[in-house]
Amino acid sequence: MNTFRNFLVSLILSLLVFSCKNELPILSDYSAYEYAGTDANGGTWKPILLTIPDQIAIPVPDAINSAAYQAELAEVVTATQSLTKTQGEAVAYWTNNPTLRWNEISLEMAAKYNLIPGPNADGTYTLPDPANPNNKPYFPFAHPAYTCRALAYLSVAQFDGLIASWHYKYTFNRPAPKLSNASVNASYASNNLPTYPSDGAVIAVISRDILTAMFPLEKEFLDQKAAEHLASLKWAGENVESDITAGTTIGVEMAKIALARASSDGMKKAQTPKPVSDSIKGAAFDRFGWQWDNLETPVRPVGLAPLFGNVRLWNVPNVETVRPGPPPAIGSPEFQKDADELIDIADHLTLEQRKIANWWQDGLGSYTPPGHWNRFAKEYIIEAKMNPLRTARVFAYLNMAIMDGGISCWDTKYFYHYPRPIQTIPGFKTIMGTPNFPSYTSGHSVFSSSAAEVLSYFFPNDASQFTKWAEEAAMSRVYGGIHYRFDAEVGLAQGRDVAKYTVEVARLDGAD
Amino acid sequence: MRKCFTKFILLLGALIIQIEVQAQTPVDAIMMKKREFCVAAAYDHGSWDHYWEGRYLRTNGNIGTLTRTTVMPMVAFGLWDRVNLLASLPYVATRSSGGQLAGVSGLQDLSLFVKATVYEREFGSAKGSVLAVGGFSRPVSNYLSDYQPYSLGLGTTEWNARAIAQYRLGMGLYVRGSVAYLHRGNTRAERDYYYANGSYYTNLMDVPNAWTYQGALGIWLINEDLKLEATYTSQRSMSGDDIRAYNAPQPTNRVDIDQLGGSIQYYPPFVKGFGVFANTSQIVNGRNMGKFINFGVGATYQFSL
Repeated sequence: MNTFRNFLVSLILSLLVFSCKNELPILSDYSAYEYAGTDANGGTWKPILLTIPDQIAIPVPDAINSAAYQAELAEVVTATQSLTKTQGEAVAYWTNNPTLRWNEISLEMAAKYNLIPGPNADGTYTLPDPANPNNKPYFPFAHPAYTCRALAYLSVAQFDGLIASWHYKYTFNRPAPKLSNASVNASYASNNLPTYPSDGAVIAVISRDILTAMFPLEKEFLDQKAAEHLASLKWAGENVESDITAGTTIGVEMAKIALARASSDGMKKAQTPKPVSDSIKGAAFDRFGWQWDNLETPVRPVGLAPLFGNVRLWNVPNVETVRPGPPPAIGSPEFQKDADELIDIADHLTLEQRKIANWWQDGLGSYTPPGHWNRFAKEYIIEAKMNPLRTARVFAYLNMAIMDGGISCWDTKYFYHYPRPIQTIPGFKTIMGTPNFPSYTSGHSVFSSSAAEVLSYFFPNDASQFTKWAEEAAMSRVYGGIHYRFDAEVGLAQGRDVAKYTVEVARLDGAD
Repeated sequence: MRKCFTKFILLLGALIIQIEVQAQTPVDAIMMKKREFCVAAAYDHGSWDHYWEGRYLRTNGNIGTLTRTTVMPMVAFGLWDRVNLLASLPYVATRSSGGQLAGVSGLQDLSLFVKATVYEREFGSAKGSVLAVGGFSRPVSNYLSDYQPYSLGLGTTEWNARAIAQYRLGMGLYVRGSVAYLHRGNTRAERDYYYANGSYYTNLMDVPNAWTYQGALGIWLINEDLKLEATYTSQRSMSGDDIRAYNAPQPTNRVDIDQLGGSIQYYPPFVKGFGVFANTSQIVNGRNMGKFINFGVGATYQFSL
């Protein structure tokens, strides 16, 4: 009679808390911290997009004893000595590692825009239009491929911008405001990081500009966020005006460089018209004798981003290099074994399997699997007390590998065009929606093992945890009934292969 | 005394529309005498092929028609003449005609109520009464409230408090009004991030509290063997987000309902303590809710210790 006892206990407990529902957390739980190190040689690390660290020029700063600097310093003294409540909250929110906050904002953008367009009254579908983002359905549809790319450009630009920032910091060696004037009431732990140009401003401006390009309807929100972030740098006593101006210059130019790559990386052609989609499907049928079909009502005429596999890779020389061999032929014993497993799981789903399927679902309306792995990274970065540059480095390599994984996975999906379980198993029902793209290989598996491989490089002591998570993410799709085991297992290996190229670049960038 | 099952009629309707319009609370003004027992069983079939996404009424080809079947045993007991205890435990099954998502089935929430007469007065042959009902419910199985719209229930504890006032004429005609506040706790999702007008980094979802209101007009006929009743019921959530475009509902949604209902109850004079009933209801206006139409039947048996 455990049920009855539990019922009574919960009755009593809920009486006690009758009128107080706790506030639920809407942010990652972290605050400003002391960096484990400042990476004084960070300006010598090899950037991803910049050819040299001083490619973006900024003026030589005024000397500490100049009248101009002293005036700026006086402004910061005043600002830090009388923070309003709102200013204090902004300082606490942004922290001295705002890369994490901007990553969090980008995940929320993804979750907000990860909504699949619904059908029109006549059964047709309208796709989001980047030229008219405000027309319904709103642009973008932040599906996993879209989101992994947005995160990659954001993180790469942040990393390069901070390398440039570090280069100048240790060229000019301007000390923190507090070290020049003890009346500055600094909010964050002191560190020996030179302040010109402001790394916070670099991050604020790059993040604002990249995310505005990726989520154009959020321009106003992002402008307001960045303005608050920039202002908080003075409120916290971190930077004087000229630090922020120089950081802004780097941020603006760095975002342009990243967005120039984005505008020509092939993403514009990823969502094909129906004739192209049909010819891709026809080619697979001719080659293998099967084809994936969308089974929604009404049928979607084109799968999700059939040519995302053609998008420019970051670190893999070409997409064919990492394309796995073909899946088992439909009806073959290998196929039947894994199809039977799906039926068996659906008939005897355990609570544990259901929980794993849901915990990793990261489906429509969520921040997607790439977002999930960014969240993991954030937690380990905080634990390691990384400075902003090292933080950006983890995100940059993580998100390049995840995007390369996504490109490779999509190439495989549309090359083999393999049908989903609901198409091959008559009457099969699932506990989660089947996505609008072919089955083989599993996106969750490739994204997750790419991510796990990179995180294992940066946090080797936790490698076994990352591997375990990736394997669990892969199997979650089998428990959910939307992937065969071979989709998951081959996808895991594929993600590892893809990520090795990125890890190799990281190993040689001068940071380790 | 044999009219005990009236207590359950609208309780059932509540379960059918999933978001408990009636808070699973007896909403009539009838009491049982001390040491009287009533047991009942009810079956209900509810379905919708349109639902409100926010306030927008739409269809979804990947759901088609969603069907919700409920079988609910109930028991009531007269602790004293003026204080009754009630309990119910529904079994629910859901399925859809379209798409490939699996329906679910299982025991939903155990509900307990205390119902008390707080005021009674005769006005000649007419009679006025005021009752108070307090209730508590809690899931008894590990169903996933986040699996919408198939989920068995909201997956949270609920406290509810209701006041009922009735005025009955000597000829058997009566009017009744009730108001209730439903205080819900959090429900536990199987994901630790979700979006509800912003990010939430937790597996807990705040299920909105709500007010419900009901007006009823009814009459007893044929020597009080037959009762007919028509109801209007509404629910207004106190918080919550809207279902996003072509996206799944979630327990955090702001659910509003306006529902019309009718019921008929018959107590065959030749079978002591036995009664049957049938009822139907239709949601006519809503927000983040399926446009349910329901049909139910049931039987009750009353006896004294």
